[in-house]
Amino acid sequence: MSSSTETMSKRSLIATIADEDSVTGLLLAGVGQVSNEPGKESNFLTVIPEKTTVEQIETAFDTFTSERDDIAILLINQHLADLIRYKVDNYTNAFPAILEIPSKDHPYDPSKDSILKKVRRLFGE
Amino acid sequence: MSGAGNREQVFPTRMTLGLMKGKLKGAQQGHSLLKRKSEALTQRFRDITQRIDDAKKKMGRVMQIAAFSLAEVQYATGDNIGYQVQESVQKARFQVKTKQENVSGVYLPTFESHINEEINDFKFTGLGRGGQQVQKAKTVYTRAVETLVELASLQTAFIILDEVIKVTNRRVNAIEHVIIPRTENTISYINSELDELDREEFYRLKKVQEKKQEAAAAAELEEKEAKEQRAAEALALSESQDTSKPHSEEQIQKEVEKLDLKAHEEGDADILQENEDDVIF
Amino acid sequence: MEGLFFNVNYGYVEGIVRGYKSALLSSNQYVNLTQCDNLEDLKLQLSSTDYGNFLASYSGILSTSIIQDNLSKKLYQQFQYLKSNSSGKLTKFLDYISYGYMIDNVSLMITGTLHERDRSEILSKCHPLGWFDTLPTLSIATDIESLYNTVLIDTPLAPFFKNCLTAEDLDDLNIEIIRNRLYKNYLESFVEFIEQEFTNPDQEIMLRLLNFEADKRVINISLNSLNNPDLTTENKLSLLPNYGKLYPTYHNELAQVDDFEQLKSIVENIGEYKDIFSDGDNGSGSGPKNLEDWFYLLEMQYCKNAFTQQFTLSTVWAWLRSKEQEIRNVTWIAECIAQNQKNRIDNYISVY
Repeated sequence: MSSSTETMSKRSLIATIADEDSVTGLLLAGVGQVSNEPGKESNFLTVIPEKTTVEQIETAFDTFTSERDDIAILLINQHLADLIRYKVDNYTNAFPAILEIPSKDHPYDPSKDSILKKVRRLFGE
Repeated sequence: MSGAGNREQVFPTRMTLGLMKGKLKGAQQGHSLLKRKSEALTQRFRDITQRIDDAKKKMGRVMQIAAFSLAEVQYATGDNIGYQVQESVQKARFQVKTKQENVSGVYLPTFESHINEEINDFKFTGLGRGGQQVQKAKTVYTRAVETLVELASLQTAFIILDEVIKVTNRRVNAIEHVIIPRTENTISYINSELDELDREEFYRLKKVQEKKQEAAAAAELEEKEAKEQRAAEALALSESQDTSKPHSEEQIQKEVEKLDLKAHEEGDADILQENEDDVIF
Repeated sequence: MEGLFFNVNYGYVEGIVRGYKSALLSSNQYVNLTQCDNLEDLKLQLSSTDYGNFLASYSGILSTSIIQDNLSKKLYQQFQYLKSNSSGKLTKFLDYISYGYMIDNVSLMITGTLHERDRSEILSKCHPLGWFDTLPTLSIATDIESLYNTVLIDTPLAPFFKNCLTAEDLDDLNIEIIRNRLYKNYLESFVEFIEQEFTNPDQEIMLRLLNFEADKRVINISLNSLNNPDLTTENKLSLLPNYGKLYPTYHNELAQVDDFEQLKSIVENIGEYKDIFSDGDNGSGSGPKNLEDWFYLLEMQYCKNAFTQQFTLSTVWAWLRSKEQEIRNVTWIAECIAQNQKNRIDNYISVY
């Protein structure tokens, strides 16, 4: 338990995979961190429609979830999570926590959320 | 004996019986404890699920308000500040601290927002125009992220509790359906084996006693004959040697005692003694 | 007398601009726009205006950014048309107008180059009105020194750069400070140009508009830099354009204030700006106004007045500003519709 406590306390950043508006807002709130350390250049990925590929999103997702050890929460736009839904659904670790957030142009749809899907399944709704 | 095959491989002795009884008691106690733990966790779990549901809905609203504040910025500055903002990012002002909360022995991590007011990467953003809106958007988004962090805590708790409850329930079921029946089976097996041994022993002792009685009867008969013979001899000698009779009586007594001792040596221990007592009374 | 030969050189362009002006959305049209339930409705409403079928070629889900992009495209086309039909001092005037956007673009390029971003990515974010042929070459520079030289040689902004910034500044100073210093120099030289080339009543109108622009920046900078320890008084002063109604009496005071109330009392010394910090509503029921709203409103009133004079080139500026405001208005309305925030939808500014 103690070793996991240690790795947990190291996790202090909030990573973001989102469209430009959401990223701007979240960065304004101050979640962004840029450094020169290899593999930890920045903790956000701005997804520009028709420019950012699904592979790039996948890579960022993997980096934030498994490679970096300083991410506590990963925020991802729901419509982007839809693109890599199989990955999000199969993700079961508690750390980092993955949170699907709505974007400006895509209102929140609770029926798609991986966690809420689990909740539904548990209570047999 | 339904679960005859399902028992532990032990020697059926009184000592293992004692051990097994202790084990059964422990298992039952553990079972009730785990069951209570599982119930407490499940209650907590339901509570959290409810809160997640609410929080997710709240998040939808909060994020909408936040997105709108960004629209206000756009209106005030006339162009998109996204690029400027992305370029001026250096260090995270908004971080999270991870704390632990103990719920029935399970450590649930909770995230806590931690804002370092000294860091401000956007001091100059919107300096020329729209600075007020940028500040407002910043405040609104900070609040929105706080909500998100809360939600993340709940969600992590949800995932961990889900896992722990599964494990606990598995344990409860394992104890209830495997360990307890098996221990009970072992105990009844040991009991039956011990009973069997008792019966064998009883039979053996009976047999010994029977033999002993036979031997005693034979000895008595022999003695009687010898007595009669001696009596006859004595009758014949009575006239001449009258004093020899009590002496021979003493000798017989001694011989009987010797025989008894022999019998004692044959029976191996106190148990036998006890059993003999049992038989006698 | 000054109007006698105006039409020889500028009559056509002025006519065009006045035509553009009458195509600006009227308050009736705005009311119609605010009644829309979704963006498709909005598109339909806009097609009955001067924008016509500006979204006809777009098939897909509408978003506010797409609407904004297409509205802006129309503006750029019109401006380019004016530019290609201009001559003499009008060309120079239009150049001056685009310098303002160039400052934004160049500071964007500087940031991008310093952070080694992808060139095409930055170029796509540049403002079309501030585009010049040598803009892409800026990103070729690899170190600060060569970047500085490229800026001096290759951009029309050299006059604004050379006296206030050194190569080291590019590295050390925040890009926002660089931008605002450039803007200060730009405004000052713009005013100089107007004073030299323009005649009354053109000059008067333009100076009023530029003075307002300068004041707007001064107030904004002072307000936004309150409690900012990184910006010293001298530094702040170096960002304030030396024009406007607040100059020179109040600039020193403004650079030194450190709370909102002081700032307010200084700004209120100017009659026109008396109301800008009072957040009471103006009776139209559109909710409390914030500072930007006041500025926009004042600016629009100035612009509207600019059209009342004949034979003026300032109409171009006034039209451009009005059009920009119009795009902001429509974007705002679209945003309110898209995000279901109808209670704020009347926050647009319409003067025509």
